[in-house]
Amino acid sequence: MQNQKMKKTKFPSFLVTFGISYLFWILLTWSTEPQELVAGAIVCVAVALFSARFFVHNDGTAFGGPSKVFISLFYSFVIFMIELFKANWDMAKRCYGGCKKVNPGIVKVPVELKSDYGLANLANSITLTPGTITMEITEENGQNYFYVHWIDVTKPSGKEAGDEIKGVMEKWIRRIWP
Amino acid sequence: MTALRIIIDIFIALGAFFALAGVIGIIKMPDTYCRMQASTCITTAGVLGVCAGALLYAIFVMHHPATAVKVVVIAGLIFITNPVGAHAIAKGAYQHGIRPEKEMEVDDLRRDFDE
Repeated sequence: MQNQKMKKTKFPSFLVTFGISYLFWILLTWSTEPQELVAGAIVCVAVALFSARFFVHNDGTAFGGPSKVFISLFYSFVIFMIELFKANWDMAKRCYGGCKKVNPGIVKVPVELKSDYGLANLANSITLTPGTITMEITEENGQNYFYVHWIDVTKPSGKEAGDEIKGVMEKWIRRIWP
Repeated sequence: MTALRIIIDIFIALGAFFALAGVIGIIKMPDTYCRMQASTCITTAGVLGVCAGALLYAIFVMHHPATAVKVVVIAGLIFITNPVGAHAIAKGAYQHGIRPEKEMEVDDLRRDFDE
């Protein structure tokens, strides 16, 4: 880290970081007294100055429009919740059944996404569904691969296992972050 | 009002049901990684059920929007931070050399990265 040159903080990324931290400040204090608002603004400017370069990796316009915000909300509150409850029900049956029906393994699955945000989002979605945990991301010849710990290996590694694990999640994330 | 209380109770009971499943899994699963998988049940369905019940309670029974917002923020932050911790723990355990007693069905990570 010492030899690497620090990335410069760009103004749009500063603005995005400031906006998000100020939103959290207002939500957590939940008061409109000027004293609170001014103190929050000062703290948020300091936080954004120091941490914007870690928080936003491109120019801060990753969402790129209201339609994508709508798709991401629809994905998180409908599509992802359905997947989450299917996986949770499966896991609960396994646990109440005495934890005998496990067949764990680590499979390598190809991923079609390219951007950092898309990869992080898909990895987190896979980890949040019970039964699968993403352990490592690698890139070989321009193709990204996930190493996923899977509690019930039913398909050999490769594309088939990937379709089984990712389900419809990858298709939706590709619409938000290609 | 009674119907609302019953709905709130159903949400909280659902959360407790999944949390109990996760706890049973943590105790009885055969190896480290499977135990981590079972614990995900608690942090997703358990937290979601309890937070949905608490949100309805805060809005319709307590009439206190600040509490409702805090419940939403708690649920959101757990959902953002949980997978990051899970990645770090799983990868750290694997690199530390923890392997399940029973051989895994497939282990591509060992095939590609180990000696």
